[in-house]
Amino acid sequence: MAAVEQTPAATAPHAATQTYNRRRVGGLDLLCLTYLVCLATGCLLSLVLPQIDAYGQDFTAVLQPPSPEHWFGTDSNGRDIFDRTLKGGLSSIVVALLTVTIGIVVGGGLGVVGGYLGGVADVVVGTLLELLLSLPGLILVMVVITLLGPGYWTIGTLIGIFMIAPFARIARSATLAVRDRSFVQASRLLGAGPARAIVTEVIPSVLPAVGAYAFTAVTAAVVAEGSLSFLGFGLQPPEPSWGGLISEGRTHLGTAPWITLAPSMVLCATILSVNLLGQRLSTTTRQP
Amino acid sequence: MLLTRILRSVVVLALVGLLTMALPSLTTGNPAIAALGMEASREQIAEFLSRLNLDDPAPQRLAAWLGNAAQGDLGSSLTTGREVAEEIITRLPITLELLALGQVLALAITLPVAMASAWRPGSILDRFATTVAFVLISIPVFVLGLLAIALFAVMLNLLPATGWVHPLDDPVGHVRHLVLPVLTVGLSEAAVLVRVLRADLITTLGQPYVMAARSRGMSLPRLMLTRALRPSSLSTVTLVGLGFGAVFGGSALIETVFAVPGMGRLAVSAIGARDFPVIEAIIIFSAVAVLLAMAIVDFLYTRIDPRTRRGRS
Repeated sequence: MAAVEQTPAATAPHAATQTYNRRRVGGLDLLCLTYLVCLATGCLLSLVLPQIDAYGQDFTAVLQPPSPEHWFGTDSNGRDIFDRTLKGGLSSIVVALLTVTIGIVVGGGLGVVGGYLGGVADVVVGTLLELLLSLPGLILVMVVITLLGPGYWTIGTLIGIFMIAPFARIARSATLAVRDRSFVQASRLLGAGPARAIVTEVIPSVLPAVGAYAFTAVTAAVVAEGSLSFLGFGLQPPEPSWGGLISEGRTHLGTAPWITLAPSMVLCATILSVNLLGQRLSTTTRQP
Repeated sequence: MLLTRILRSVVVLALVGLLTMALPSLTTGNPAIAALGMEASREQIAEFLSRLNLDDPAPQRLAAWLGNAAQGDLGSSLTTGREVAEEIITRLPITLELLALGQVLALAITLPVAMASAWRPGSILDRFATTVAFVLISIPVFVLGLLAIALFAVMLNLLPATGWVHPLDDPVGHVRHLVLPVLTVGLSEAAVLVRVLRADLITTLGQPYVMAARSRGMSLPRLMLTRALRPSSLSTVTLVGLGFGAVFGGSALIETVFAVPGMGRLAVSAIGARDFPVIEAIIIFSAVAVLLAMAIVDFLYTRIDPRTRRGRS
C-alpha cells in the first residue's frame, strides 16, 4: 500500500523553515511551555483545591459574562466556566498521555519488529495496520464507549488503539532505514540475536522519529477526546470535559458566547502550543 | 501484485466484518433489554433476539448479514423501523455533496497558496500562509464550525446557522445552508493540504531536472504548472482520497455542528440508540469505502507518476 508509506508532512524537509528556526529558545517557545505547564498545574490543582469548584451551582449568577469573579463567566446553571475548564482538562491530559504511551509502546514495538524481521512478521503487522486504517476510528470508538460506558481509561485506551497505526508506520520505516547499516550488522556479527540487536541498536536510532511524532499524537488525542465529548460520548454530565463544555454552550451562542468560546480558546491554545513545541524540537534536533 | 492486494483487502474486510458482528457481545447486560426497555415482555425479547440473532457467534452473524446483503437487505433500524438501505440511500448524497464541495474548495485554496508559498520559501507571503495554516491546523473542526456560526450567523446574521434544505424544495436555501459547513470543511482540509503540497513542491523544485529546465530559460509559472506540480501531488491526492473515504460517518462532527442530516448524524444517533443493524452497515461500508478510496488513489499514482507502475510494494 504505497499510499500509506508517504513521509508525513511533519518530517518532510523544510528547506526554508530550517534557516529561520535555528534559534535556540525563542520567546514563543517559552510562552507555549509556560502556558502548558500552568494549564497542567491548574488541572491537577482542581483535584485538590476546594476553591476550584466545577459543580457548584449558583442560580443568582446564571449566564454571567466574564468578570474578575468568574474569569470565563458562568453557564446556565451558574457554574463557573473557568473552574469547569480546569477540571475538564484532566480528561484531556489523562487521555493524551495514555494514548501516546499505547502508541509508542505497542505501535512503535510492532513497527520495529515488523520492519526488522521482515517476512511473515511484516505481513502480519502490515495487515493489522491496514485493518486499523480502514476501520472508521471515531465511529468504532463511540460504539465501544456506548457499550462499555465512558471513563478516562476506556476512552484513552480506545483512542490509543487507533494511534498504533501511525506510530508503527513511522517506526517501521525508520527501522528499515537502519536495519542494514553497518553498526547494526556489526552487532549481529558480534553475536547479537534479533532481540538484542533491536533493543541496543535499532530502538535508540528509531526513537527520535517516534518522539517527534509523539507531539502530533498528543494533539490528535486531545482533538479526538474533545470530539468524542463534543458528540456526547465522553465523560457524562455533570463531569466536565472540554468538548462537553463547548457543546453545552452551543444553545447560548447568541446570548452567552463565552460558554463555548472560553473552553474553545483553551483547547485551541493547547493544541497550538503542543504543535509549536513539537515543530521547534523536530527542526532543531534534526541533523542536516 | 494485484492479486495479493485484493487478497489482503478481502482479509481486512473479513476481519472488519467479524469485529463488527462481535460488537453486540460487548454490551453489558442484555442487548434486547437495552434496546426494548425494561418493560419488554419475555416473548418480545425472544422475538427480538431471534430476529437479530444477537446471541449468535460473530462468524455466523457475518454469514447471515452477507447473505441478506447480497439480496439487498441490510435489515431495518431498531428505532425508526425504516430499512437501513433506504436510510443510507437518502443520506449518502447529502454527505457526498458536502464532502465533495468541501474538498473542491480546499483544493481551490491549496493550489495557488501552496505554489505561491513554495515559489519563494521564507518570503513574507510564505510565512503568512504557513502561519495561517499552522493556526488553522490547531483548531479542531467542530470548533472551527462553531466559530463560523458565531461570526457569520450570530454576529453578522448573514447566513443560517444550522439545518439543511432539500435542493428541490428551495434551491437558494439549499445553497445558503451549505455555505458554512462547506467553508469549514474546506478551510480545515486546506490547512493540511497547503502544508503537505508546499513541502512536496519545495522538494521537487530542488531536483536537478527543475534546475535544467530553469537554465534553459523556462519561466517559473510555467515550470511550476508543467513540471513541478504533477510529481509533487502524490501526498495531496492521498489526503483528498482519504477525505472521501470518510463518507460513511467520518463527517459526524461537521454534521452535528451544522445539523446536517447526512451519514454522520445517522451514525451518531444509531450509536446512541444501540441500533445494531444501522451501526453494522455503517462500519462495514465505511471500511469498503476507505479501501476503495485507497485503491483509487493507488491507481491515480500510476497515472501521475508512471514510475510507480512497477516495483512497488
